[in-house]
Amino acid sequence: MTSLATALPIIAAAFLASAVEVIEAFTIVLAVSVVRGPRPAILGTAAALIVLVLAVAIVGPVLAGVPIRGLQMTIGVLLLLFGLGWLRKAVLRAGGALPLHDEAAAFAKESAALRARAGAAAADWSAGMTAFQAVLLEGVEVVFIVLAVGARPGLLAPAAIGAALACVMVLAAGLLARRPLARIPENTLKFIVGGLLSGFGVFWSAEGLGAPFPLGDLAIPALIAVFLAAGLIMAMAIRRRLARAPAWT
Amino acid sequence: MDVIRAFLAELWKMFAADLLLSLGALACLGGVALGLHAHWLGAAAPIVLAAAVLIVLAAAVARSTVVEIRKRSDR
Repeated sequence: MTSLATALPIIAAAFLASAVEVIEAFTIVLAVSVVRGPRPAILGTAAALIVLVLAVAIVGPVLAGVPIRGLQMTIGVLLLLFGLGWLRKAVLRAGGALPLHDEAAAFAKESAALRARAGAAAADWSAGMTAFQAVLLEGVEVVFIVLAVGARPGLLAPAAIGAALACVMVLAAGLLARRPLARIPENTLKFIVGGLLSGFGVFWSAEGLGAPFPLGDLAIPALIAVFLAAGLIMAMAIRRRLARAPAWT
Repeated sequence: MDVIRAFLAELWKMFAADLLLSLGALACLGGVALGLHAHWLGAAAPIVLAAAVLIVLAAAVARSTVVEIRKRSDR
């Protein structure tokens, strides 16, 4: 029987280490939820959790053999491509090169509305996939943390409790944050999400390449800040360029 | 099977939407991988990757801006 004195440090270690990973995944899920609605975010998260549970149940004993770098690389590249695409479009909209909201006119005619619905379905699909990838990658990392922290006999349960507590607390904080976030203008959100995904994408791609950032996980907020700052500078440069362009109607 | 096909179709659509951006990002990753393999980069590799990706993003934004300006002046 594991004593409380032995279990508590294990719970705390698993909680803190898992919280970092869960926050990373939840940031992306929350961003997807705010931009594309809760449905793709919930579906993507649920699908990833099902895959994780199945993976742990089926290949639990050999899970430590999963090549985490390959997984980081694959998901990093996908997030980078998604993120850069979103950020590019949001920068062009913020700079005035593209209209801020061009979907409204498309809904005027039935045929255009059908096209718009197809486009929305595709966007929901990619949003759901983004949530799925983030939860899957971070979920695998949480499983590794639980296995590593609870590696000694009798400590697996306290480690799992710590990780579960981290999930519950991050989820509660995220649910509280969702409503205020929903009031932010659409393009601003897409801009932020583009920066988020690009930052995570560069971080995971670098880790997957075997070239980790010097500050570890602390590099993620720095990368996100760099992408957002660069996006703002680009948007300002576009505004200046458009002001110098020949007049059009 | 349909799920995989839909995912690949969506991935291709996203990839083809801005070839310069997608190919540029992949080229950055390939270049850094090569640099690491040849021991040219060392600890600077992640910083080089982030800088290269930013340059690609700036190039893609600049190209799209020029295209939009041309489109508007043609109208």
